Amino acid sequence: MRASQRLRLAAAAAPAEMLREDGRSLYVHLPFCTSKCRYCDFNSYAWSGQSLERHVRAVLAEARARAAGLRPQTVFIGGGTPSFLPAPLLGELLQQLDEVTGFRASASEVTMEANPESFDDARAAAAAAGGVNRVSIGVQSLRAPVLRAYDRVHSAETALAALRRARALFARVNADLIYAFPGQDPQEWQEDLESVLALGVDHVSCYELSFEPGTALTRMRDAGRFRAEEPERGRALFERTRALCARHGFGQYEVSNYARAGAACRHNLAYWRSLDYVGIGAGAASWLDGERRKNLELPEAYEQAVRAGKDPVAEAERTDPATTLFDALMMGLRLPAEGVLLERARRISGLDPAAACGATLDELIGEGLLELTPGPARRLRATDSGLPFLDSILTRLLAVLRP
Amino acid sequence: MARNFPPERIRNFSIIAHIDHGKSTLADRFLEIGGAVDPRKKMEQMLDSMDLERERGITIKAAAVALVVQVDGQDYLLNLIDTPGHVDFSYEVEKSLQACEGALLLIDAAQGIQAQTVANAHLALNQDMTVIPVFNKVDLPHARPEEIAEELENVLLLDPSQALRCSAKTGEGVREVVRAVVERIPPPKGDPSAPLRALVFDAKHDEYRGVIVYLRVVDGAIRKGDHVRMLGVEREYEVEEVGKFTPKMAAHERLGVGEVGYMIANIKRLGDVHVGDTLTSAKGARAEPLKGYREPQSMVWCGIYPVNASDFEHLRTALEELKLNDSSLVYEPETSDALGFGFRCGFLGLLHMEIAQERLERESEIDIVQTAPTVPYEVLLNNGKARMIHAPGDLPDGSLYSEIREPVVATHLLLPIDSIGAVMKLCSERRGVFQKQEHLSPTRVMLTWDLPLSEIIFDFYDKLKSSTRGYGTMDYDLPRFQAADLVKLRILVAGEEADALSIICHRDFADRRGRAILKKLQKEIPRHQFEIALQAAVGGKIIARESIRALAKNVTAKCYGGDITRKRKLLEKQKEGKKRMKSLGRVEVPQKAFLAVLSTEE
Ligand SMILES: Nc1nc2c(ncn2[C@@H]2O[C@H](COP(=O)(O)OP(=O)(O)O)[C@@H](O)[C@H]2O)c(=O)[nH]1
Ligand code: SF4
Repeated sequence: MRASQRLRLAAAAAPAEMLREDGRSLYVHLPFCTSKCRYCDFNSYAWSGQSLERHVRAVLAEARARAAGLRPQTVFIGGGTPSFLPAPLLGELLQQLDEVTGFRASASEVTMEANPESFDDARAAAAAAGGVNRVSIGVQSLRAPVLRAYDRVHSAETALAALRRARALFARVNADLIYAFPGQDPQEWQEDLESVLALGVDHVSCYELSFEPGTALTRMRDAGRFRAEEPERGRALFERTRALCARHGFGQYEVSNYARAGAACRHNLAYWRSLDYVGIGAGAASWLDGERRKNLELPEAYEQAVRAGKDPVAEAERTDPATTLFDALMMGLRLPAEGVLLERARRISGLDPAAACGATLDELIGEGLLELTPGPARRLRATDSGLPFLDSILTRLLAVLRP
Repeated sequence: MARNFPPERIRNFSIIAHIDHGKSTLADRFLEIGGAVDPRKKMEQMLDSMDLERERGITIKAAAVALVVQVDGQDYLLNLIDTPGHVDFSYEVEKSLQACEGALLLIDAAQGIQAQTVANAHLALNQDMTVIPVFNKVDLPHARPEEIAEELENVLLLDPSQALRCSAKTGEGVREVVRAVVERIPPPKGDPSAPLRALVFDAKHDEYRGVIVYLRVVDGAIRKGDHVRMLGVEREYEVEEVGKFTPKMAAHERLGVGEVGYMIANIKRLGDVHVGDTLTSAKGARAEPLKGYREPQSMVWCGIYPVNASDFEHLRTALEELKLNDSSLVYEPETSDALGFGFRCGFLGLLHMEIAQERLERESEIDIVQTAPTVPYEVLLNNGKARMIHAPGDLPDGSLYSEIREPVVATHLLLPIDSIGAVMKLCSERRGVFQKQEHLSPTRVMLTWDLPLSEIIFDFYDKLKSSTRGYGTMDYDLPRFQAADLVKLRILVAGEEADALSIICHRDFADRRGRAILKKLQKEIPRHQFEIALQAAVGGKIIARESIRALAKNVTAKCYGGDITRKRKLLEKQKEGKKRMKSLGRVEVPQKAFLAVLSTEE
């Protein structure tokens, strides 16, 4: 076993035991941001003066309707920018959420996303007091021209200060970073990553810059005003990131996520392991007892529905066995170390993965893109050479499972 | 309108015009003046006929309308025969015109003479028929009839003093147009006592009544119960019904000399009737066929393949159904190494091809791959025989033939004077041979170039539009075949010859076209997990190479919170895209790539 692989396994191992298969997670979405970043296609909106109190009331009302007594094993407050809420409102949200769901007693991990420009002492304190024990800071880049190109509203210094503040109050801190800005010097990327690691974070998410439909950046690219980095250079940065993180003791436990041993994000692991979760808030998604659902995205529409006493659901589907199996593979194969536990995939979908994927699976294994672990608890996972082509692999699996 | 008119009180005519110059509007005015329906009963009767049509699901377009008009106290029967507007259908236009003694050449008084005006006028003038120029839309503030009179004289050598002016919209001058039809267009000539001879000028398929044949009686008469013979296709039928369009179909006892109407005779397939054919009596002496009948000529061919091999039979059925309504469509089974089993389909022209394809996809819901269109080539074999080929793959080995001939068309290009330079350059780049330049007016000219048809089907029209800021129009006459130094340009993908991508092109252009095609393929074929070599070759010689680099990475960086449905949908899209691709060996090629050979850009 190579060193990097051993690390991957180590990073995955510890929290795995802390997640119960029959447990549930809770996601809470807060859609407002100071401004909208150019690459971003989340359900997030530049705040334009609407009442944040009213929105939080709606979120809590939905929580009362859909998550009362949930006792989640993990919580993730995401967005948007949760740290955009003023400290008192943030405190109230957390406190009431606890009253409704009992998360403080049940959850081993409570993460909140924050952006540097708004993550001040007061909010940090309110979050800690409210039960948050892990913070994820949107750093994205430490280069001024890049931050400007993305239309981020903070500087590199503010971002580093936010990380230090987070480290002071929270045991577990993540930094979100984006690489493959066109023309990015690999050395500079390495320096940025190293400065962040040096601050003592236990987790980094390193995403390759991507052009999602409908974003400002995609429009700029299509109009010829922004160029996408050469795919080869993107790939090289991906490899450099993997190697560098490994050197610093950070295992790649998911395509874009690296953590110290035991510091993998349990909440996200719940997604990747196809465990149940309830999503509350505008556009939030849920997976519960075999049903996927998603809420109305527009904050106004969401609030209106909740105020009218209605379920703010936009779409819901009860997935058929093949889809359930595919979803489990799609999510689980993102975890290069642990992969998909075949027995569990079979249990939730009712299909035998090997039989359902047929010859395609053998081909993918034959081509060295996927591998089966030996032993009784068999797992299917992407190999080092398969991981960068996961979408191609999944497309082929999808073609057999949902022809 | 049950009465029959003697020939001297009948006028058969068409309206010919560039698109949007007002043909339909003027026809509507004529209907108001001389339609069979009494204005008081008009509404009621129109509704009646609509109900009937709805009930029976007929959508028969009246390709001919009978009008009764009064001029100087005398009733006349006017048969207005519709003509298709587009050059692809010029054979049909010619046949419709052949059913007439005269034509109204309708010209938009603001836009002036356009390419279709010229092409249609040439068709009419070649038939020795009376052509009456009519300037329409004189109500427009920017109408410029004086200048157009000049254009008429300069380009078409027509006497502008004979031109009429009207507004089909307001009705102004329309009565004068009707009078001119009666006074200037000669009545039909023909021998009422001779055996029947009638011209088939159009045909439509009706679900309930079979094929409806549109005809013009030249000699003799046709009645219900007659036994008739089509000379060209050599088939015989018993006439079930004859009648006229008023504009709805109305049965008549008989159609006599000069009359225009329809025949129903239990004909099942549209393909059994050929436009331009002569109808005679099945008994008695054989009559001479009317002049000018020929098989419809397919000038554009392409391969049509089902994406899923299992849809082959569906595709065959769909083509059969399409042919029910479109007898000019031809198709034959074909196989391709890359694409499997499909059909080679022939069309009258590009527009015809587009219409047919659109209907095919819409009505059959079969995913199809279409190869780039090609013109037919005539190959002179060493044994002295000539062979027509419809696909580049059918070109025999170079040692087996002495000459290849390609279709060349005389092309009329009408444009503002300041774009002459750009258009001349375009035509010479497309292997054109300049013929002449005529001034329509101080600001507009008409250029005539002989151009290989194959050069026109590659985005020529778009280029013309951009070189003339949208003002240029073009049209062309029927093609003739002419020898040229043509070669087969072969394309190899990952070392395998892709027959569906090879083309026939001029030797001097092979290098450039080869490079352009490879560049385009490079863009259209997605990266694979391995590098793909692309080559273009003439004979055994590689003339261009490119490669498609191996895929560097294909994994979604960020997997959204819990929104799994969304991620699955993205992959679903990739999967569907892949499904629609065709494999050339290990390489998956999207449909669009098969049109890469149309690319002329470097
Ligand atoms: N101002 C004006 N517009 C007209 C006249 N005749 C037709 N049009 C308009 O020109 C357009 C094209 O007419 P249409 O009869 O459809 O042309 P077609 O393509 O030749 O059949 C329509 O918008 C008509 O309303 C006219 O005499 N005066
Ligand atoms: S702060 Fe985050 S959620 Fe908000 S717009 Fe920027 S990237 Fe999107």
